[in-house]
Amino acid sequence: MSSPLKSLLRAAAPLPGETGRFAMGLSGFILLLAVLPILSMIVMSFSGASNLDFPPASYSLQWYKAAWNTFVSPDASDVLSLGQALTTSLLVATLSMLFATLVAVPAAYALVRCEFRGKAVALQLMSLPLVFPMVVLGLALLLIFDNLPFQLSTSRLVIAHVILALPFVVKNCTAAMLSIGNEVEEAAQMLGASPLRAIVDVVVPLMRSGILAGMLLAFIISFNEFTVTYFLYNIDVMTVPIWMYSRTVSSLDPTVFSFAVLIVLIDFALIWALEKLVGDGGVSF
Amino acid sequence: MSGLVLENVEKHYGSACAVTDVNLHLPEGKLVCFLGPSGCGKTTLLRMIAGLETLSAGEIRLDGQDIGHTPAHQRNFGMVFQSLALFPHMTVGENIAYPLKLRGVNKADQQARVSELLQLIQLQEMLDRPVAKLSGGQRQRVAIARAIAARPKLLLLDEPLSALDAKLRESMQVEIRQLQQRLNITTILVTHDQREAMTMADIVVVLGEHRVQQVGTPIEIYRNPANAFVADFIGSGNIFPAIALGHGRVGLPGGAALQVPICESIHAGTSIKMLVRPEDLQLSLPQATAGNRLQGTVTFVRDSGATIETTIACSGVSLTALSTPCQGIGLGIGSPVSVTIPAEACRVLTA
Repeated sequence: MSSPLKSLLRAAAPLPGETGRFAMGLSGFILLLAVLPILSMIVMSFSGASNLDFPPASYSLQWYKAAWNTFVSPDASDVLSLGQALTTSLLVATLSMLFATLVAVPAAYALVRCEFRGKAVALQLMSLPLVFPMVVLGLALLLIFDNLPFQLSTSRLVIAHVILALPFVVKNCTAAMLSIGNEVEEAAQMLGASPLRAIVDVVVPLMRSGILAGMLLAFIISFNEFTVTYFLYNIDVMTVPIWMYSRTVSSLDPTVFSFAVLIVLIDFALIWALEKLVGDGGVSF
Repeated sequence: MSGLVLENVEKHYGSACAVTDVNLHLPEGKLVCFLGPSGCGKTTLLRMIAGLETLSAGEIRLDGQDIGHTPAHQRNFGMVFQSLALFPHMTVGENIAYPLKLRGVNKADQQARVSELLQLIQLQEMLDRPVAKLSGGQRQRVAIARAIAARPKLLLLDEPLSALDAKLRESMQVEIRQLQQRLNITTILVTHDQREAMTMADIVVVLGEHRVQQVGTPIEIYRNPANAFVADFIGSGNIFPAIALGHGRVGLPGGAALQVPICESIHAGTSIKMLVRPEDLQLSLPQATAGNRLQGTVTFVRDSGATIETTIACSGVSLTALSTPCQGIGLGIGSPVSVTIPAEACRVLTA
């Protein structure tokens, strides 16, 4: 995540000649494309008009006020308040983060340290959710959960999000694990630590940055997830993206833009924390 | 039997043999050096003693007790790794206290032992430094202090000095040796540097081609190498083929004969190999051939200031002589020269 920022800074020191100018122009254009939707959304959230014309005819804070009102005194027409959706989102994101990390740390250790049959297959399977169409995955999970003899509500969202976040968390933990030599672990054993104690005392602390990066990524992925969640939510358990979507399907309500700005701010804060915690080059998406 | 005993120790990786047929007795309180070229199995052997590798066959006993299958963390051996393997997330003090913490030593005793060790390695003021902030030599000392903190029965050093520059390495060699003698701890040092082995060890175990080639004091190994491998690996030596002629004489390829101490059991006509150390050859201006004095021609001279290395073609073999500048007799390439090879300096090598 730090790389676009970094490359921007680096581009500020001009490259010589035509190539430099071309490279700068191109990266500027691509960056603009990347932030344009977010920028237009932020602009729209300050619209003073009651329609969706872009750019807005006037500017005001009316949609923020409306959003605040929805938040403090939910409309009776709303099936579910934003407060409840936000609580669900945070709960699901936190649980997904914890479970994904609990699975990913031992998995990363095994993938780096151990040689076993089917290691290549395990690695492939691990990244399957990355290439699998989300819609198919959502449908598949829905089929499975509906055929279970018992009902799951929040936990089925957690399970789905863990599956989605796992490749990223494992990737970050594996990268951290790769930089840890065998010798520190053996040194701990020679000093009297059992193999498990050596992992807890030495390997895990040294993996810290990778684990933290993975945890935050898992949180962000779960917090933003829409497609798979759309198949699995029900009327009582809804995450923020689903709640926002449900408000826009019938009639596009500009308050959604103010909520979106709020979510973007949360994401930015998390990514900023991620970079602070991990430093440069530590995170791989 | 006290000390460490290895009996018929073997290690295979699949069909590849790392080390085989190792029988050693390492007496208590000595510094033993495993010396050999890379890939000879010396590190594998050390790791088996440490418990970090399993034995394919054989037994390891410490003071009469079989420890061959005891896990590494229960052996109570100190080990310094090639990379030192200090814990980067701990301070100097925490690194040294770690083995004590594992043994449930109380905080006050931990602190006392840590400051005692820091005094021993003269790094008292570094207690709270992160290890990343130390110099190479300081890290080295911390690694040793950590390894001996829990008073191990055996100290294992796996090429711990190889990352240091030449000057620091030599001073660390002396420092480790003094520390080892002061603590009287049985120590095994793995190295491929024969100078290191010669300066530090009480006993040198020369390993080569996956087995033990010779065990002895450094001087024994240097003076009386057991075979051509050891002769070639330890020091620089003139090794050349010869034929036993009987009556204590051997013939060189060029026809000249030498009087040498040769075992009676070697029959006349047997092909053998001879070893003469360069510093034992005496050069002089050409004079009549007599006894072990041969005629030759200088083919190369390397004058490094402190020593002069002269290569001489002499009766079908190429000999290198080492002399000091004051012994120099002003030889250049092509000069005729007489070489005296003292009989007692010659070693007959079998195979």
